[in-house]
Amino acid sequence: MVTKTVDSYHFDKLEETIAKLNEEDCTIIAGGTDVMVLHKSRRGVAPKIAGPVVFIDHLSELKQTYLAEGNLHIGACCTYGEMLEHSLIPSVFKKAIREVAAPAIRNRGTIGGNICNASPAGDMLPLLYIFNAKLVLRSFLGDRIVEIHDFIQGPRRIARQQNELLVEVILPDVVDEESTYLVFEKIANRQADAISKVSFAGLLQVKDGKVADARFAFGAVGPTMVRSLEIEKKLLAKGYPLRAEVLEEVVADFSSVINPIDDQRSTAYYRETVALKLLRYFLTSKELS
Amino acid sequence: MIKFKLNGSVVETDALSTVRLLDLLREEFDLIGSKEGCGEGECGACSVLVNNLVQNSCLIPIGALEGAEVQTIEGYSQTPQYQVLNECYATSGGVQCGFCTPGMIIATEALLSKNPNPTEEEIREGISGNLCRCTGYNMIVDAIQLAVKKGDGLW
Amino acid sequence: MITKDISQSVVKKDHVDKVAGQLPYISDVKMEDMLYGVLFRSPIAYGKVLSIQYPTLPEGYHVIGAEHIPGGNFVKILVPDQPIFANEWVNYIGEPIFMLVGKELKVLYQLLDEVEVEFEEHEATYTLDDAIGKMTDVMATHEFGESLQSIEKIEQEAYQIIEEEYETGYQEHVYLEPQGMLGIYQEDKIQVQGSMQCLYYIKNALISALACDDDEVRVIQSPTGGGFGGKEDFPSMMACHVAIAAQVVKKPVMLLFDRSEDLVVTTKRHPSKIKYKTALDKEGNILSMSTEVFLDGGANTGLSPVVLQRALLNSAGVYKIPHYHAKGYVLKTNTVPNGAFRGFGAPQSFAGIESHMGHLARIAGKDPLEYKRRYLVKQGDPTITNGRFRDPVFMEDMIEDLLETMKYRETKEEFTRFNQQSPRYKKGIGTSLFLHGCGFTGSGERDHIKATVKLLKTKEDKVLVKISNSDMGQGIFTTLSKIVAQELNVPYEEILFPYPDTKDVPDSGPTVASRTTMIVGKLLERAARRLKEQWQSGAEQEIVEHYVHEEMIPWDEKTFSGDAYPAYSWGVNMVEVEVDSLTGNVQLGEIHASFDIGKAIDERIVKGQIDGGMAQGLAYGFMEKMTSKQGKIQQRSITDYGPPTSMDIVHIESKLYDNPYAGGPYGAKGVGELTLIGGAPAVQSAIEDALAVSFYQIPITPEVIIESLEKREGEAVDKI
Repeated sequence: MVTKTVDSYHFDKLEETIAKLNEEDCTIIAGGTDVMVLHKSRRGVAPKIAGPVVFIDHLSELKQTYLAEGNLHIGACCTYGEMLEHSLIPSVFKKAIREVAAPAIRNRGTIGGNICNASPAGDMLPLLYIFNAKLVLRSFLGDRIVEIHDFIQGPRRIARQQNELLVEVILPDVVDEESTYLVFEKIANRQADAISKVSFAGLLQVKDGKVADARFAFGAVGPTMVRSLEIEKKLLAKGYPLRAEVLEEVVADFSSVINPIDDQRSTAYYRETVALKLLRYFLTSKELS
Repeated sequence: MIKFKLNGSVVETDALSTVRLLDLLREEFDLIGSKEGCGEGECGACSVLVNNLVQNSCLIPIGALEGAEVQTIEGYSQTPQYQVLNECYATSGGVQCGFCTPGMIIATEALLSKNPNPTEEEIREGISGNLCRCTGYNMIVDAIQLAVKKGDGLW
Repeated sequence: MITKDISQSVVKKDHVDKVAGQLPYISDVKMEDMLYGVLFRSPIAYGKVLSIQYPTLPEGYHVIGAEHIPGGNFVKILVPDQPIFANEWVNYIGEPIFMLVGKELKVLYQLLDEVEVEFEEHEATYTLDDAIGKMTDVMATHEFGESLQSIEKIEQEAYQIIEEEYETGYQEHVYLEPQGMLGIYQEDKIQVQGSMQCLYYIKNALISALACDDDEVRVIQSPTGGGFGGKEDFPSMMACHVAIAAQVVKKPVMLLFDRSEDLVVTTKRHPSKIKYKTALDKEGNILSMSTEVFLDGGANTGLSPVVLQRALLNSAGVYKIPHYHAKGYVLKTNTVPNGAFRGFGAPQSFAGIESHMGHLARIAGKDPLEYKRRYLVKQGDPTITNGRFRDPVFMEDMIEDLLETMKYRETKEEFTRFNQQSPRYKKGIGTSLFLHGCGFTGSGERDHIKATVKLLKTKEDKVLVKISNSDMGQGIFTTLSKIVAQELNVPYEEILFPYPDTKDVPDSGPTVASRTTMIVGKLLERAARRLKEQWQSGAEQEIVEHYVHEEMIPWDEKTFSGDAYPAYSWGVNMVEVEVDSLTGNVQLGEIHASFDIGKAIDERIVKGQIDGGMAQGLAYGFMEKMTSKQGKIQQRSITDYGPPTSMDIVHIESKLYDNPYAGGPYGAKGVGELTLIGGAPAVQSAIEDALAVSFYQIPITPEVIIESLEKREGEAVDKI
């Protein structure tokens, strides 16, 4: 019984890593908090990972966070812990990060990993969706920029080519948190170390008594985050506070696009009901001018 | 060959890069202080310090450790900070079955080294990845609050 | 140190080694030539094994199965219905069929994947409701109390009859250390070490399975990372597995569970259904009550009949109910066998009766606490089995005191105002009143356990405690040593208490039923007193002490009458919650608790029991959710099950009432289980108070809350 040795790569430079990806299909490990669980063996045995592994979380090129032309760039290998301490990270993201697992995981898990794991319950995803996050995928051919909702295709399914690496997350036109009503809610079975049963991110801007911008995303209620530009558009220029029939229409619209399931963590009924309650509450609870 | 610092000394291993740090510590280095309670990063019994940050050794593939500094409870127990925690956990009754304790001590160190004067809320957050089924946590929280007082200046 | 008052706390005996992480739990033990075992488990809930095809085994790898068992193929608990290796019929998913043994875990896992077993599947019973529908597999039943005819007569004349059904779910122990056992072969003898609560249960199981003599097996407790009942009955099965394997391969064999394996195949708290039928007069006073308790036993009998007894004995709570009748059943389902868990049937009963009394109070238009107090038992009152509450009952004082400490009335008013102004968050306050019978039920201590303790004094005048009870974190190394030290008037540090080994400790009984401090501690107190009288410095001395039964109203198990317990510990919990009506999430507010445990042997250790027990009890009421679907446990990770983290629990303000019990050492009664019992009912009552909705089940998860709130909203709309 011969067990195959897993080849692994740990390059000093991003360039070399990209070059290797062009040669071989590798399992990419950033923090490893998802990969190690996904491929977990039973006790006492290393995870079963087929093929070569490439480690990337030490690459300093992937750990930069900076502003460029009004866009916020976050390196794919920034850990939750690092983002929590960075002054450029919007505070609503920090609120969401504080609800990710617990400190030990936050010290390893990365934003790039959370995106590429493409879990329907991914903690960062609802906010990334409503911030219109763009992802920079680098290969030996150069950079390709993809919208997050095009990149994530389903549970653990992403539009990454074998030779590409997610290197950066870009939040374009970062909204001014002072004048924007931003909410993130993670609903789970306990206060820490929990996986979302429902999550919700909402953004609302009101100018001169009218809705100027409205965005919503729901997590854990479908195979990917649920966001609908069409429904959001219906709210634009509507008077705020919203009239009852406008509100009811938005809630009804979402009710038809949300399709959760029953599983070991919650019920479809709960997920849908709470998602819609959170939306309704978000749209009515605050006085905005 | 993977090379990193373990409890102050440089060590090398030719184990597979995907081997879990937890297994390497327990099997190759006979360091039994890091315990396996779940193997999925959900209980914290295997907590170690990597570059002074608390991490779950069951989730770390050793290939990621190249050049890192790892400290386990065995290394940490040689420090004056440990002595204070040891005493405060005793005085406050923070130890029952003991299985979560080494990991809890590591999480406490990580918390206090970053925030020497935490609020109760910050303490609860700091140990939130370390499951304890015996104490209901409160006497551990007390122990940490006591350590903040007693370890004046150590952190 | 020598303490003036025994309650004064000392540093625990095992503190230093535990903090440093150097105390070897069973998974930390390695031996030369040690092999590992992995179990092949049934993938189906009920059926017949038709054929097994083993893969080709590399050298040094073995299959261990039923054919290797020299004695009976069952784990000896109460009824011989639990096979060690199921070689013909399988009764639940996860039931062990055989074990593969060899050096490398990696190879073993791979071999396990290559095994092919053909089954003939039969129709299984998956749920308690299915089993209640059929009533064909009754594993135990008891009935007692006032005759149903006379109750019927009362019901006919009553103003109204209230019928309720209440359900409780699984609870999983989640001891931090997963189960583990090591079997060692030594010159025709077998030694078993591991994580355990009951050394002699294991020893007896081994003697039966190995068909060997008493001196051919030896059981040693390893440091045990939490038990809570989960290491009471279950480890006997694992011990049989490793012992049989070690005997065959003549090498040490280690069996360690993964967390997910542990969550899926080990025993849990019995899910239950409890039916109440209560007759009320016009003012809402109780005229009669009859209760039916159904426990889901799972696939094997295990300890379930005894769990049922405790569930029934507690079914009327702390109340003197006129004309009370109770009946109960343990029903078989094709699911993982349920077993011991801190409280042992009582948590289900208390959750149920406290809920029912709370609902009756609402029907009567009274505050739940006020209503419950009208029925509180007092000293001298009969128990529901016609025993007597012989000792002083301080519940009234405890309640009054807590009401004052937490400003009950002001808080209630404040919450009412808060709830009127807050559309999203709602606050509530709830109370639970409870007791726990200490020690074994009925004459168990006298007839079955017959505890014996030994003190050994060395020539160096060191005193060793020789008993078979386990310290699994609850601190008996410390508390029992303190009792002996206090009696001998020597410093506590001079008392030695090594991990027990059946080779040199007598059977002082299992570490269960809140009996260790009270029963075993009392025997040690007596032994120490005798040792002191006979003390000869420099001489080796041995003192043996046997259990002496206290005269009570004789217990008759057939008629379920007499004194079920020698003493009772008591408790009051008051809990505040804040419920998010948008999501159903519940956050704990202030928590106050008061307990009468006779006398604390060590206040800090008792506080540890209170905080830990209450955390488990509270979480049982609203957080911890385990479900089974088609016989399969759905929550296979700690996170999915959801025991509380440090952020879910809040500070607990607790108080002790001294009420020394003559039958316990220094007046001490049981603590361990009592502390868990009040959590769930207090949380339920607080959630009901916050939302003004009645619930009929625990855990009251956010899913349950949202469904109730939506239903209420729907009904409100219907009315318009």
